Amino acid sequence: MSIAAIETLQLSKDYGDGRGCSGVTLKIKHGEAFGFLGPNGAGKSTIVKMLTGLIKPTSGEARIFGHASGTLEARRRLGYLPELFRYPAWLTGEEVLAFHAKLCGLDKPSARKRSRLLLDEVGIGSRGSDRLKGYSKGMQQRLGLACALMGDPDVVLLDEPASALDPVGRHEVRELLQRLRSQGKTIFLNSHLLEDVEQLCDKVALLNNGHVLAEGSVEQVLGSKNEWRLRVGGYTPLASERIEQMFGAAVKVTMLTWMDESAWLELELADDEQIGLVNGLLVEMGVILYEVSKVKSRLDDWFMQAVSGLEHRGERR
Amino acid sequence: MTAVWALTWKELIRKRVTMMTAVMTVLFWIAYWFVAAAIASETNSIVTTGIQVNVLEKYTISAMVLTIGFFFGAFAVAFLSIFSSVSAVTGEAETGVLQSVLSRPIKRWHWFLGRWLGFVSYGVLYGIILFVTIILICKIETGVLFEGIVLLKSFALFVSVVPLLVSITMLGSCWLGPLGNGIGMTMLFGMGWLGSTIGRFMSESMIEREGIKTLETITGLIQLAMPADALQQRMLGELFSIAELSGLFNLNRAHSYFAIGAIPSNTFLVYSALYTAIMLLAGLLVLRKKDF
Repeated sequence: MSIAAIETLQLSKDYGDGRGCSGVTLKIKHGEAFGFLGPNGAGKSTIVKMLTGLIKPTSGEARIFGHASGTLEARRRLGYLPELFRYPAWLTGEEVLAFHAKLCGLDKPSARKRSRLLLDEVGIGSRGSDRLKGYSKGMQQRLGLACALMGDPDVVLLDEPASALDPVGRHEVRELLQRLRSQGKTIFLNSHLLEDVEQLCDKVALLNNGHVLAEGSVEQVLGSKNEWRLRVGGYTPLASERIEQMFGAAVKVTMLTWMDESAWLELELADDEQIGLVNGLLVEMGVILYEVSKVKSRLDDWFMQAVSGLEHRGERR
Repeated sequence: MTAVWALTWKELIRKRVTMMTAVMTVLFWIAYWFVAAAIASETNSIVTTGIQVNVLEKYTISAMVLTIGFFFGAFAVAFLSIFSSVSAVTGEAETGVLQSVLSRPIKRWHWFLGRWLGFVSYGVLYGIILFVTIILICKIETGVLFEGIVLLKSFALFVSVVPLLVSITMLGSCWLGPLGNGIGMTMLFGMGWLGSTIGRFMSESMIEREGIKTLETITGLIQLAMPADALQQRMLGELFSIAELSGLFNLNRAHSYFAIGAIPSNTFLVYSALYTAIMLLAGLLVLRKKDF
């Protein structure tokens, strides 16, 4: 059995004022993209910091590729982007990267090469030679991302990587993370941007008040059904009966609305292949098909449902 | 560690600490040269009137010039040491920079020691420049130059406050923010200076004997908590070889702030060295355990 990239066992941190987290057990395989979700003050950053060794756990343990978190061996495999940071304004982007390269143990030629590559990759490019006092918040965030990737880490811990970015920047970061994922990096993404998490992550966990409420693959937590929406013309209830007679319990048809001589139908299918068969049947019955789309369950709907009605300590006064 | 050390130097240069220090130092040199020339001219006027000025008198004049120079020099070195390192830990943590650095595969004590070496080497270099220029200006104006070994000993004592103050300031910055730490350290240094000043007054018998025991205890305790000014007293003591020339001349005859009080003993020097080492070690231990 291969060693997990990230593993926590009953990981707890008690700050003594009700904050922190309790008994968090997670297992993330090498190459997986993991989304860590939760309302403000849930304890997400505390867990990320315990993984990096910046915070010592009160109890439990965390391991990175089998090495106890905080050890040099564990940190060698990590790249970390903190949630809130502001690099010194008197340095240039290249100097920040050169400094981090030295801390990662890279020699000068390799550091220069990697620095140029990363500056291009995060979209800073030739502005890397500018002092940081001229950088926008978004550019600082991109530089932070480049720093996190400097040591070519196996595990990338990102605490709100797209929080200060505009839509274009967010899209670019998402693409960069997709590339990292395709390179086999393990990504631990702590984010409020559920759309990003949904598009990128294989697995998610939801944390509230320091406890894991739910954990699993995105499909598992969403409990997705194979639903399709169709806009059809010349529809009669007889058509629905024919479909159900043909497919039996495997297909459920619901008529949603009538609109401009066309009807919206919702079909729940056993698998995607059935949509082709349903399509053929409808054409055979003389029904005109205008639009077909798969219904996607959204992570933000799930998130809202999961935490609604619960107390969030981040909102306490 | 060398990367952190180099970055600390870059920080001190780029944040205009160097430029401000250089400008203020040049102003100090101008003022000091003027004062030194004014004091030395009194001696020269005595010479032109034909009265023989003995060596001891010339020596006393040069001692007075140097005491004034090092009085200000000690403040300059102390404040540079304090304010350069005042935000070493919490200042970095507040901006999130420390978190991205400490998550790298480096030992925490390496980072702390790299910063410490950066601040100390910078302060010591400034100390060399200041020490040499004060001695040179005095030599030009009074013609007195002390022996090399004496200069070396007093230089070592002059810059010994740099590691002392940087160690205490960096330890304070593990808990306090830059502003709180800066105020705290300035007050602590001020207390040390006050302790020495009271000591000077006591040695000049400007304070009545009644209650002097209590004052001695208080000043002793203050100097134990902040030995910086006492080290400067010892530096002047070494420079003027007061122990060897005891009874021949009295630098305290002017009854001023610039007078030299009781010279701290060798045991006090050992204590100061230990105190510096303990403060540095405490900083390293606190950083090792601290959550960020």
